[in-house]
Amino acid sequence: MASMSVKLFGKNLRNPVMNASGTLGYGEEIEPLWGIENLGAYVTKGLSLNPHNGNPTPRVWEERQGLINSIGLQNVGVDRFFNEYFPLFKKKKTPIIVNFFGFTEEEYVACARRIKPDNLIIALEMNLSCPNVKQGGISFGKDPEMVYKIVKEVKAVTRIPIIAKLTPEVRNLREIAGAAYDAGVDGFTLLNTMPSLVVDIEKCSVPIRGGLSGPVLRPIALKAVYEIFSSLHVPILGSGGIMNYSDALSFIMAGACAVQVGTATFVDPYTIPKIIQELKNYLEQLRCPRISDLTGVAHG
Amino acid sequence: MDDIEGRIIQNKEIVSGHYLLKVKLAKPMNTPIPGQFAMMKLPDSEVFLRRPFSIYDYRQDTAYFMYKVVGKGTHSLSRTGKNSTVSLLCPLGKGFNIQKRDAYVVVAGGIGIAGVHLLIKRLGKQAIIFFGCNRAEELALMRYHINLNPYVSTLDGSYGFHGNVVQLLSKHLKTICKSNIEVFTCGPENMFVSLRRLLEKMRIPCQASFEERMACGLGLCFGCVKKTLDEKEPYKRVCKEGPVFDLWQVCL
Repeated sequence: MASMSVKLFGKNLRNPVMNASGTLGYGEEIEPLWGIENLGAYVTKGLSLNPHNGNPTPRVWEERQGLINSIGLQNVGVDRFFNEYFPLFKKKKTPIIVNFFGFTEEEYVACARRIKPDNLIIALEMNLSCPNVKQGGISFGKDPEMVYKIVKEVKAVTRIPIIAKLTPEVRNLREIAGAAYDAGVDGFTLLNTMPSLVVDIEKCSVPIRGGLSGPVLRPIALKAVYEIFSSLHVPILGSGGIMNYSDALSFIMAGACAVQVGTATFVDPYTIPKIIQELKNYLEQLRCPRISDLTGVAHG
Repeated sequence: MDDIEGRIIQNKEIVSGHYLLKVKLAKPMNTPIPGQFAMMKLPDSEVFLRRPFSIYDYRQDTAYFMYKVVGKGTHSLSRTGKNSTVSLLCPLGKGFNIQKRDAYVVVAGGIGIAGVHLLIKRLGKQAIIFFGCNRAEELALMRYHINLNPYVSTLDGSYGFHGNVVQLLSKHLKTICKSNIEVFTCGPENMFVSLRRLLEKMRIPCQASFEERMACGLGLCFGCVKKTLDEKEPYKRVCKEGPVFDLWQVCL
């Protein structure tokens, strides 16, 4: 039997398929359709030290083969997540990756410190696409010096592994990733959504600005995974427009040790269990003993 | 809730720009509560996300939807022929909560009738119906309720009361006002605003079915929210905590 399990930061995941942050609610919402224990790991909705209300509507907008969202990081805060929603993952022994963010360095640090290590917590995933309100609102993730500093500070307050989730809106992704690497980051999620906007030509206005996700983003994210894999030796979680198992495989072959599925779940809520099953079938047909053997094989 | 494949057995224009769609499901869905909806995956690959539709009616494994063409999704649906296949995630959301009352008043504006049809069916003769539309021809949207003697208004005065449905309701509210009534409504948000102004004086309870751009329909993405008076968590998901909300709790 082929093995779907992958090792991430010394812990075993039953398979390499996760949800992307913010696309599977707090976990419980998908339970009427399929159990969260099917996931390799559940990635939390972006959490902050204090709750956030999020943005007014419209928050979502359909594009050709894509979706623009402007949810505005609505979340119940890290404490309420662990009190109200984490027990389900405990009960189902499902590992989680805690996605978190802040609008100042202090908020990132305080949030990371607040999260107590637990056997089921695989890593903390830092959303580096947030604006730094103390630096004129530029995203933390766009400036190598800010990336270095914030990763270093967060690493200093927790022993849970840190994953940096990078924004595609940068001049030189390798430089940004390199800065996080130098600061001791343990892994990367590549990539976050791409900042974008919509023009309403009848109303002569901009109804939404937000992050573009979906298949339209896939080749860009794939290139990021391919490039970072060849230069930095830390685990990469691939994310961007994965709709089916062949998309997932392409990310793995480009260098991802696991993948995150987001927008596809909105089109078909069973996408994640389907991808898991189809990857399993693929391995068996290929007589490939382990999915982990396929990471990076596209590099030759 | 379940994701069920269905075959279109009818997709008929009943009034200009308004359609009645019948979908034969491959297997039965859980009995829908009035006010619940379905997320429909269209066969057109140019339409990326599913689209939300109120469940207009459901009987013998056939789901009925009444819709108005407003955007890319409904435009594509209107051109989808008989025997095409769709996928329906249903039934979704929190529907109307029918409690024991002395009188039930149903207020529908235009295509909002699609959101209360199942409710009217459930209430039967107990329902006092107010229906407002633009012009007489749109009365075809409520032809199945004619035997329930609805109060009707048209904005152009071509049938019934000349004005909007809330003005019509205000004329009759005193005569039907028993001590224990509840209003159920579906329609455009500006209708909710005037309805609330009318009901405010008497603090009549009112449940309203809202709509919003949606992505998932399952509460996963937090895309389709309405602002409410809840201080702790003001934005509630239309697909999960709604689409039916207590009108008094929503910020309009």
